[in-house]
Amino acid sequence: MDKNILLVEDNPDDAELTRIAFAQAGLDYRLEVVRDGAQALDYLFARGAYANRRDAELPAVVLLDLNLPKLGGREVLQAIRTHETTRTLPVVVLTTSNERFDIDACYALGANRYIRKPVDFEQFVLAVKQIGLYWLVLNKPEPL
Amino acid sequence: MVDQAAMPVDMPRQSPAETALPLRTQQAVLRGLTHDLRAPLRTIDGFAILLQRYLIQHQGMDATSSDHLQRIRDAANGAASLLDALQELTSAGRAPLRHEQVDLSLMADWVAAELQDLAPAREASVHVMPGLSVRGDEYYLKRMLARLLENAWRFSPPNVRVQVEIEGERIGERVQLRIRDHGIGFDMRYADRLFEPYQRLHGAEEGAGAGLGLAIAQCIAQRHGGRIRAESTVGAGSVFHVELVDAAPADAGDG
Repeated sequence: MDKNILLVEDNPDDAELTRIAFAQAGLDYRLEVVRDGAQALDYLFARGAYANRRDAELPAVVLLDLNLPKLGGREVLQAIRTHETTRTLPVVVLTTSNERFDIDACYALGANRYIRKPVDFEQFVLAVKQIGLYWLVLNKPEPL
Repeated sequence: MVDQAAMPVDMPRQSPAETALPLRTQQAVLRGLTHDLRAPLRTIDGFAILLQRYLIQHQGMDATSSDHLQRIRDAANGAASLLDALQELTSAGRAPLRHEQVDLSLMADWVAAELQDLAPAREASVHVMPGLSVRGDEYYLKRMLARLLENAWRFSPPNVRVQVEIEGERIGERVQLRIRDHGIGFDMRYADRLFEPYQRLHGAEEGAGAGLGLAIAQCIAQRHGGRIRAESTVGAGSVFHVELVDAAPADAGDG
């Protein structure tokens, strides 16, 4: 099956490491990478540069960094939860911060999961495997 | 040749108030440091391990390259734990605290289980007296116990079973805990330095880490109205006495 993951990440090294981690986790997916919050929303709502996106389908899961240029991760999350078509879209916050106020704020805004990116790459591959197993294999989306 | 570092330098004539950054800016700088420096460390560790695998796959790995790559990875991960500790210390000092009933015995058992998970091969027995509790912030009190237990593990000789006993009692609204280990101990002459950041009484080969763990624990105890003091006998182990005071009954809706 051909499943999409949207990765919202402005650091090219992190984007590349995430791509490799998903490949190593052996998951069947297509990783779409956008570099800021505004692009993320354009992609999800198939507008702007993504107005003619071939399959306007939503990804299986969004991996969202918090510290983004233009529109921050929290604002993206808020927009996703407010908009009718993306209200129940799974969002995994994947970020550097482990400060309690960031974690609390993200769950309050409706994040499905909050994961702190580990420095140890092997730990990161393990975390990605868990995300993949849960959101791409086990999780059944809410019926419309 | 003149050694430049030894040349006298005129002191700038400025008062401390003029030279100091505002506290908010200092905090923002610190937050930036502890968060943003993690990104390049991820890059260093990630691509070092990928290079390691690539070389192994293409039969290009020899003992020297393998050793060098491992040192790069260890340094990146060491720097990451230093940043974590620094962030923990600053957030323990300023974060608003919750006032909730905290089961200290449960937290101690939980922390011990987490330490055992991190080092499954290490033999350890941690005995916790049940029923110890205090009103405070569960998240930070768990961090405090984690730093104290980590210390006990760290300074137990590597081939000897880690043995820790936690007991205590309540006196009015105060709780006294005693965390007793049977590790290498420390020289009581340096007891007051123990809780200062970056003061290490042992070298890395004896298990020392970044030197922030006990400073974090002390900071959390102080924010809970108490403090930690330690006594020790070299070669026989240490006892950490932790005093905590119940926070005021739930105010402003938390707790």
